[in-house]
Amino acid sequence: MAKMIDSIFKLYLTIKIDRIETKIAFLKEYQPILIDTLKEKNDKKLQKVALKHKHQLLPYAIQAGHIDDYALEAKALEIKKVEDQFYWHHRALKQALKRNNNQTAYDSKFALLTSKKNDAIQAIEASYAVSSDLTTAQKAYHLVVEKQKIEYAKVKAKLEEQYVTFSTNKKRLLDEKVSYLNKKLEIALAKFNHYQSGINSLDEMIDQDTILKLDRLSMHFGGLKAVDELSFSVKKGEIFGLIGPNGAGKTTVFNCITRFYKATSGQIFYRNRLNEPLNLNQFVVHNVIKEGIVRTFQNVELIWELPILENLLVAGHTLYRTGFFGQLFNIRRIRREEMIMRQKALKILSDLDLLAYQYAYPIGLPYGILKKIELARTLMVNPQLIILDEPAAGLNDAETDNLALTIKKIRDEYQATIFLVEHDMGLVMEICDTVCAISFGKKLAIGTPKEIQSSQIVREAYLGGE
Amino acid sequence: MMLYSVNRSLERKTKLHQILHHPYFGFFALGFLLLFVQFLRITGVNIPITVLRGLGLTMIYIIIALGFSILLGYAGLASLGTAGFVGIGTYLIGYLTNAKGYSISMILVIGFLGAIAIGTIVGFISLRIEGLYLGIITLGLSEILNEVFKNATAITNGTNGLLMNRIVLFGQYYQFNSNTIFIAIVFILILVMVLTLNIMKSPTGRAMLAMRNSESAAQAMGVSVLKYRLLAFIIATVYAFLGGILYMTYIGFSIPTTWNLAFSLFVLAAVIVGGSQSIAGVVLGTFMIFGLDLAVFQQITFFQENPDITFILNGVLIVVVVMFYPGGLARLLINLKFKITNLVKKLMKKWKAYKYGEDD
Repeated sequence: MAKMIDSIFKLYLTIKIDRIETKIAFLKEYQPILIDTLKEKNDKKLQKVALKHKHQLLPYAIQAGHIDDYALEAKALEIKKVEDQFYWHHRALKQALKRNNNQTAYDSKFALLTSKKNDAIQAIEASYAVSSDLTTAQKAYHLVVEKQKIEYAKVKAKLEEQYVTFSTNKKRLLDEKVSYLNKKLEIALAKFNHYQSGINSLDEMIDQDTILKLDRLSMHFGGLKAVDELSFSVKKGEIFGLIGPNGAGKTTVFNCITRFYKATSGQIFYRNRLNEPLNLNQFVVHNVIKEGIVRTFQNVELIWELPILENLLVAGHTLYRTGFFGQLFNIRRIRREEMIMRQKALKILSDLDLLAYQYAYPIGLPYGILKKIELARTLMVNPQLIILDEPAAGLNDAETDNLALTIKKIRDEYQATIFLVEHDMGLVMEICDTVCAISFGKKLAIGTPKEIQSSQIVREAYLGGE
Repeated sequence: MMLYSVNRSLERKTKLHQILHHPYFGFFALGFLLLFVQFLRITGVNIPITVLRGLGLTMIYIIIALGFSILLGYAGLASLGTAGFVGIGTYLIGYLTNAKGYSISMILVIGFLGAIAIGTIVGFISLRIEGLYLGIITLGLSEILNEVFKNATAITNGTNGLLMNRIVLFGQYYQFNSNTIFIAIVFILILVMVLTLNIMKSPTGRAMLAMRNSESAAQAMGVSVLKYRLLAFIIATVYAFLGGILYMTYIGFSIPTTWNLAFSLFVLAAVIVGGSQSIAGVVLGTFMIFGLDLAVFQQITFFQENPDITFILNGVLIVVVVMFYPGGLARLLINLKFKITNLVKKLMKKWKAYKYGEDD
């Protein structure tokens, strides 16, 4: 009974810790975006004011003889406008002449047009001429400049003050909230550790530096033993490769880990973000991702009716904290969450050089890109363990080399453990730290790539014995 | 920190541009148009009552079809039980008002709770059965409900139909005034469209689409199939109940023969013809299937003499749209827009060549 109460408390605490952590992450990601948005807005406002002043000043500057590049440009633009206008008139007249074939009647019209054009250009040039009374014009010019300087400084000071108060307020609020939440988190973690040390018997089953451990896992489909008493363990932070001939049961192992199949017998142990040992057999398929296990599929399984960016947002589904009614009424919180998730998705896309595809639909994109998008999708949930099912299948050599680099980059930058099944031996031997070879559901050998390459049993499994 | 295209809204030029490009603009425009028609009628312009009645009914059917479009277009579940659920809504309000004198707010609450209960039951059925078979099961359910409507004479008044000519609001009885109810329906329609768009664009809508496209991918991404199937059915049922309640308040009469298979199929056809994933498409499709007949054809003497011709027209429309535009009228409209802009560009070019001559 006491044990049961303890485990209920533990469940409550994990939920609480999860909530506090997401809140802190939310605050830390949201506040800088808010402050940056204000800064950009202010910059735009200032630019607008400066442009307005320039327009105001232009006639005074011309009269006072300060004809700078801007004035010249404005003049050229106006003249070009007039010339363009008359060019089309001219062409229309020419066309009409072609149709009517009456040269004498049109001669006068052409003359009128040219004289009109010259008048218009002269008028523009006159408006850009220096004033005859230069001293008064210069005085007026300086007056306006002084006035504008004061106005500009005023606006700038006001905006800056607004920005400073806003940002300091927000930062202060953030610090207060985060320190408060951190205190709460500490208390919750202390309690959690207390309970964990008390009741967890799983702790002996899986080592501290191991992330995933299969213990005599079996999966039978009727009489067919797809996986037969398989056991191995994956260390934290390594790239682990699972190889084997066709039909060896590699994908079945993946499906057992991600709970698509319910294993016939055997245990799967896993250590999550809080270093808490878990038995994956107790999880439902859609809850596995909450513990940080993400997978890709052998055939690309993207959502074809959504653009790439929203495909990534679907992967972040478990991170949203707003409930259905919040989404129904589109409250502020869901809009903020959406904004942050979009930022996160865009960051991942730019990390993997996919930013150009963000608005594209998956239909019609090259296969290599689709595979990469699936890889990007796994990164949305801050994964602990990424399970890749034949990432290089159907890729050409250049794409495979690129993929090897990407996988290494993901391991280093996102601190995730990678567990992959692959047929491309070049890729496996290049990137994996540990390789496990299986055949007909049974383990043949496990070790570094070199050991596997020199193993006699593995060779026999692939090429056949004598 | 680098910002990725978050501030696109700042680049928009004018306030008017912002308003015109707001996602809710179309809904409010449609609402104002309908209110304007009603306003004309009140001020004395001679608009036939049947036209208004047709528009009002079409609006109610749009609400029902929107719920169905979430079910079909987003969750990918085909149901033929719509008629039964709408029927329950009509009899619920009819019975509770006539016999018990419940106020309409109370009835709405009871209706929502009932819809949630029924939606949950059908949702659980949908976990085991998919596709056509789900359609058959829901069809059977609808037919059972229809038989219940016919035989539970104490509540539904059997095949004679149930009459309701007053509603209770704030403890008082009110006679019907179809003008005010029309206006109320317009506002409810706008609200429903806004909420539906919110659902479609939210993580919930995306999760449903993910489920429809690839169930295993959705599960691997943490989408619970049970939760979202139930949710889709609950939304569709709530909308159907709301439609039924509005129908009874507007028409005041409900008869079992209305809630037959044909009605369910017409709703399905409206959503398919319009385009199951766009609100504009659903509105257009519903107008094509229901509204044209109710509000336009019934004014023309030829159709008054041969009322069955509208069925043939509807059939031809469905066949043509499904054959040539699987995306529905919404897709057709988008294509048409592109074609028209291209045509205008071409014509402008020709006109220029005529007036100014060929390029030098």
